[in-house]
Amino acid sequence: MSSAPILVVGGGPAGLTAAHALASVGQPVVLVDKADRLGGAPILSGYAKLVPSGEWARDAIGGMVRRVEQNPLVNVHRNTTVAAFEGEPGRFRARLSNGQEIEPAAAILCTGFTHFDSVNKPEWGFGTYPDVVTTTQVEQMLSSGRGVHCPSDGREPERVAILLCVGSRDRQIGREWCSKICCTVSANIAMEIREALPRCQVYIYYMDIRTFGLYEDKYYWASQEEYRVKYIKARIAEVTSDGKRLIVKGEDTLVKRPITIPFDLVVHAIGMDPNVDNVLLAATFGVKLEPHGHIARAPTYSAMGGTSRPGVFVAGAATGPETIDDSIAQAQAAAMAALAFAQGGLARAAE
Amino acid sequence: MPIHEKSLIRPENLITHEELVIDEVNVSGHWSTFIQPRVVTDYDERLQEEIAALPGGENIHRCWQCGSCTNSCTVNAINPDFNPRYWIYLIRLGMKEELVRDKEIIWQCVSCNKCTYACPRDVNPEGVMKATARWLELKGYTEKKPSAIFDEEFSAQVFAKGRIEEGRLLQRFFARTRQKLLQDWLVELARRLFSRLPLMLMMKLGWASLFHPRTRGWRKARAAIADYVAECEAMERQVLGLNGKGPSS
Ligand SMILES: Cc1cc2nc3c(=O)[nH]c(=O)nc-3n(C[C@H](O)[C@H](O)[C@H](O)COP(=O)(O)OP(=O)(O)OC[C@H]3O[C@@H](n4cnc5c(N)ncnc54)[C@H](O)[C@@H]3O)c2cc1C
Ligand code: SF4
Ligand code: SF4
Ligand code: SF4
Repeated sequence: MSSAPILVVGGGPAGLTAAHALASVGQPVVLVDKADRLGGAPILSGYAKLVPSGEWARDAIGGMVRRVEQNPLVNVHRNTTVAAFEGEPGRFRARLSNGQEIEPAAAILCTGFTHFDSVNKPEWGFGTYPDVVTTTQVEQMLSSGRGVHCPSDGREPERVAILLCVGSRDRQIGREWCSKICCTVSANIAMEIREALPRCQVYIYYMDIRTFGLYEDKYYWASQEEYRVKYIKARIAEVTSDGKRLIVKGEDTLVKRPITIPFDLVVHAIGMDPNVDNVLLAATFGVKLEPHGHIARAPTYSAMGGTSRPGVFVAGAATGPETIDDSIAQAQAAAMAALAFAQGGLARAAE
Repeated sequence: MPIHEKSLIRPENLITHEELVIDEVNVSGHWSTFIQPRVVTDYDERLQEEIAALPGGENIHRCWQCGSCTNSCTVNAINPDFNPRYWIYLIRLGMKEELVRDKEIIWQCVSCNKCTYACPRDVNPEGVMKATARWLELKGYTEKKPSAIFDEEFSAQVFAKGRIEEGRLLQRFFARTRQKLLQDWLVELARRLFSRLPLMLMMKLGWASLFHPRTRGWRKARAAIADYVAECEAMERQVLGLNGKGPSS
């Protein structure tokens, strides 16, 4: 077995999976994360109950973090980035921002995504009205135990609007992709709100509902059938206020009629942007980005987990909007590919 | 904006000023015609709750507006204004005024259940139509329709005797709806029946129409059914916030 470590960049669900997979077959790993904690978005942003397992993020992802932190084969560097990555397959050299130098046999980028910043859609009131919040904030209200409330005065909302596709599927702001998980996350949040506050009505404004695969009945149907969440086909034009409540304006496309509806709380279902570091990461690691700005993948059919550079692999939301389950599966695949590459490198060196 | 299809707009929403000058331009008369926007300014959850509480309406909240019911509908094929999907939406958002506008179309559902078999979410649109017609009636928006009168006669006979007797049912129905008893089609039907039916059966029928026999052991069942019906009716009136007897709005 190679004694040269494999470098894993990013310690979210994908990076934690890759590190664990490699260590479990005896492969040493150097895991680097720029944050002060491992766990990625679900931990850093304080998600509540995850889709589709229903487990609390701190338990599910927390378990993945402990498993890696306790593994002697994984050398964890927090608050750290990769400053330089050079060399050829079999002779890579990496310098970390903390000054340490390593000679990894391969690298896996698990650098994830950046949450869309709703300030970039000013017409929907985020940053102007305190009671316009994001799905991340609602996740935090739920996970912290404080409960869903209006930030302006702490009252329990009686009517909540969730606006889908905020920061996704929108050419105006250069984001043509679907963020894949926000429909399901929104249906889940809607059910949680209805459960916690049975008198509160929840309305979801949508263009399409993309609760793909097995999420269809578990989230979309259940939210309607068991929790009486209402879905209204409208892309909201603007969110304003009458001084007391928020006013949501748009067109109800099913009755072809303008709507001007008062709400207590408006939730933006924010999308998944490419990681803001991607341009830097691409330059450092010499990998290409795909047109939206995510890390470009090698052809999946022949080189699953690959990038444009041999020896550098990628997994998870770094490649585009992904769920946790898919990020984990991709990371396991990328770990396998990286391991094969590292061992192939050894074999080449032995010839 | 010029108005191309005035016929699509409800007359009360077309506004024209006899005398109007804007920025020194005279736009009196039809030059100033504009459409009053029909803005939805609130949602009312109660309408859905009321319909859902009536028999047949229970699953209305499942509807995702795919339109399969309307597309498969027998009546819609003849009258495009008959649109179950649309009414379900109005009910779900609480747009009562809009719903009541169509009160003279809604009850025309022929209960063919094509929609029921087309609906991917098992909403039972036929049931919703029934519940909606009932709601309109209970709230006093519509008077009792012939079909409701027929149902009443039918049930009344079942409650009384545990069975129905067709001749009597038709006779009562025609009487209550002020139609003549000897309808041409009925005479023809009877003529053909009598020329074909076996003798024994005819005798049985004749005996039954003279003596109105009761199903054996019916008394107990009758009491239980009467209780149940009274209970259901009381429940309906309660959820609709109606006190006392007779329809009100
Ligand atoms: C509101 C919201 C709710 C969600 N809920 C769910 C859910 O319930 N279920 C589900 O399946 N998915 C959910 N998702 C999606 C989920 O967040 C992602 O699938 C998951 O986080 C992807 O994991 P990842 O490891 O690829 O990336 P991330 O979780 O983004 O982790 C990336 C890690 O890399 C680190 N990093 C980034 N850049 C660098 C760098 N330059 N150098 C070093 N380290 C770096 C970061 O600090 C981070 O720790 C949700 C998403 C949103 C927006
Ligand atoms: S998953 Fe749903 S909310 Fe998210 S971008 Fe796609 S369609 Fe919009
Ligand atoms: S049952 Fe009524 S609503 Fe349904 S298809 Fe038949 S006529 Fe139309
Ligand atoms: S077919 Fe069913 S789900 Fe579709 S619009 Fe009609 S009632 Fe709704």
